[in-house]
Amino acid sequence: MTLLNLLETLLVIGMLGAALFVVRTRDLLAAVVVTAIISLVAAILFYVLQAPDVAITEAAIDAGLTTAIFLVALRKTERYEK
Amino acid sequence: MIPGWLWILAYTLIGLGVLLGLLRAFLGPKTPDRLVAVDALVTITMGLMVLLGLWYRRGIYLDIALIYGALGFIATLAIARYLEGGL
Repeated sequence: MTLLNLLETLLVIGMLGAALFVVRTRDLLAAVVVTAIISLVAAILFYVLQAPDVAITEAAIDAGLTTAIFLVALRKTERYEK
Repeated sequence: MIPGWLWILAYTLIGLGVLLGLLRAFLGPKTPDRLVAVDALVTITMGLMVLLGLWYRRGIYLDIALIYGALGFIATLAIARYLEGGL
């Protein structure tokens, strides 16, 4: 097990923790912020798996567009889940 | 050539940074704390991508770090604008 595998394991555990946090939290804005971590780790995993084009698409769509769309949707509703 | 201990040092420091950033993103009591933690994680990830591009010795991998650095900024900007009351 090399050091890079250890780093990937840490990142995947962080991705799992972020997904659990997003599902369980009541604050929807915090959920939108933490969703960025999931896309971040997905981009790194595509990168390490030697798929740079997929990683570029993941970075472009998920880092910029998804958060903006979620925020525009959140503006129309309430911030805290009942 | 880059010596082996320097790789180990770089990966260890990046791992520590990721760990602390994840901790603050999960524990942060208010949303700006989480936002700053995620922004720091994007920067650390950019550094990791450049480092791995050097490790694999392929130039195209640097473009991903470039695009991530240019677009990771938009999410932070949108959330900051939301917190301020605009958008």
